[in-house]
Amino acid sequence: MIRAHALTKRFPGPDGDRVAVDGIDFVVEPGRVTGFLGPNGAGKSTTMRMILGLDAPTSGSVTVNGHRYAASPAPLREIGALLDAHAIHPGRSARDHLRWLAASNGIPTTRVGEVLEQVGLESVAGQRAGRFSLGMGQRLGIAASLLGDPPVIVLDEPVNGLDPEGIRWVRKLARELADEGRTVFISSHLMSEMALMADHLLVIGRGSILADCSMQQFMADHAASYVRIKAPALADAQTVLSGRGLDVSQVDAELRVGGLDAAGVGELLGASGVVLHELTLVRASLEDAFMTLTADSVEYHAHSGAPVLEGASR
Amino acid sequence: MSTTTLSAVTGQPPARDLTDGPTPGFGRALQAEWVKLRTVRSTGWTLLATFVLGAGLTILMCGLNADWLASPKADESPGSFITWGMMIAQICAVVLGALVVTSEYSTGMIRSTFAAVPTRGRVVAAKALLVSSVLFVVGTVTALVGYAGGNWFLDRAGIGMPLEGDVLRAMFGSGAFLAGIGLFTVAVGFILRHTAGTISAVLALMLILGNMVNLVPGTLGDWLVKLMPGNAGSAISTPVSFNPDVLGPWTGFGVFGLETAALLVLAWVLVRRRDA
Ligand SMILES: Nc1ncnc2c1ncn2[C@@H]1O[C@H](COP(=O)(O)OP(=O)(O)O)[C@@H](O)[C@H]1O
Ligand SMILES: [Mg+2]
Repeated sequence: MIRAHALTKRFPGPDGDRVAVDGIDFVVEPGRVTGFLGPNGAGKSTTMRMILGLDAPTSGSVTVNGHRYAASPAPLREIGALLDAHAIHPGRSARDHLRWLAASNGIPTTRVGEVLEQVGLESVAGQRAGRFSLGMGQRLGIAASLLGDPPVIVLDEPVNGLDPEGIRWVRKLARELADEGRTVFISSHLMSEMALMADHLLVIGRGSILADCSMQQFMADHAASYVRIKAPALADAQTVLSGRGLDVSQVDAELRVGGLDAAGVGELLGASGVVLHELTLVRASLEDAFMTLTADSVEYHAHSGAPVLEGASR
Repeated sequence: MSTTTLSAVTGQPPARDLTDGPTPGFGRALQAEWVKLRTVRSTGWTLLATFVLGAGLTILMCGLNADWLASPKADESPGSFITWGMMIAQICAVVLGALVVTSEYSTGMIRSTFAAVPTRGRVVAAKALLVSSVLFVVGTVTALVGYAGGNWFLDRAGIGMPLEGDVLRAMFGSGAFLAGIGLFTVAVGFILRHTAGTISAVLALMLILGNMVNLVPGTLGDWLVKLMPGNAGSAISTPVSFNPDVLGPWTGFGVFGLETAALLVLAWVLVRRRDA
């Protein structure tokens, strides 16, 4: 369990302080995958560094299993983390990187071989980490996070640089870890990724929490759908549907109907003898919902004014 | 790449009581730093360079100068030549001390380190202890090998020195000087967090500034010469100093030790206070 209370981080800048994390409160519960979603620069990595005691909060606090990270007698056995920066010496082999980590927390060295196998790096364990691809580096970082068999796992953008097979693997791993009752906290700037991985969603934008709800709830709230109608007698259609108490609006030459599925709308209009040219269920994508939600808080805008997300072109 | 199921390796229930295992203390931090030190190539190379330059240049300089030192024209003592190579070997000690710290900052590894050992003072202490121990051993061995080779030439010219008194002190003193330089650089590395910056700052202070203060006139200049860390610390590494104005070997080393300790305290304070 991770608990943040009024957690704030300001970085001094040339023109005044910059608030990276703005007094946020949240709880990351065990037994489920909590997605930490936000555009580039939202404050995800800063929050995670504060969880790990690497950055000191300007004010507020964050605890892991009820105490400050630094108060843990063997932190790697309590919380495992993959950080956004590589945090690995390129001249050291994967196995040696895990060996010093194990030594630092009194973790049996047998765990080194186990996690190497678990992440699929055993064949390259003796190679220098500097030769690794981005994806292999991520796998090594994930191996390091699992080394102490910790009940809490924090992964900052773990799917960055992974191929589709690797992304599926991370998804499956996160699920298994949560099913074992662990606290799993994973950041991403990709809604589509979170939709497939997370049970619970924590959306952050410009340092503030914008949503804290189950994935299901988020979909119901934000990925709204409507039925699009095109008809020669649009006004007649609108009269019929409004008369039934449905939420109807006209946009250009179409009607948008909420609160009923396409079949229901079609039957209503058919019964009233309204001729239809088009009847379509339109579902707003989660990605759209995320962009709408965070539009005000995205730091970098393209010239068109549309919010641009890191990696959104993929 | 294969994907194995997790349950095979994480059989234990999560959120176990952590007090059942051994609680990692300073010994664990030291062990971790020892693994780190042994598993990068730069350590071996810098130590090899320390040995080859330190012992090799001593032997070479003694060989080239033995006859001149034995002649009445000589205005230097053979005691100044018997650890000559250590003046160059100290550069390698600076490089080692810097890399042990600053390579972690340049690669981002320092975050893994402080996440694994959140009591950051332990990291500083472990690095300091390891670097100084390794350099003490390598420095002493280097000086002894340099003595053995160099003294062979001096012997042939009739000016050989027995391994006792100031000569023996200079052997261990060479190890102590390199250890001190390593510590000094570790401290500067934690303060500056940058490889090139740390190496140039320490070398400039030890080698260039240490000589430039000669230009400062009067007693102020005399004291600056005596107190500059490179000048104060190096006297212990040679039976007879080239520079007659420096402090005695033990006084000088004491001054150097205090300067190093002050820097280590500053490093410790900054490391604990700064974000990683
Ligand atoms: N060490 C730092 N110094 C100054 N500003 C920083 C530092 N780290 C992060 N920031 C700023 O804080 C904000 C949040 O960054 P970050 O936590 O990395 O976001 P995310 O991980 O969500 O992309 C950004 O505006 C970033 O520029
Ligand atoms: Mg980030």
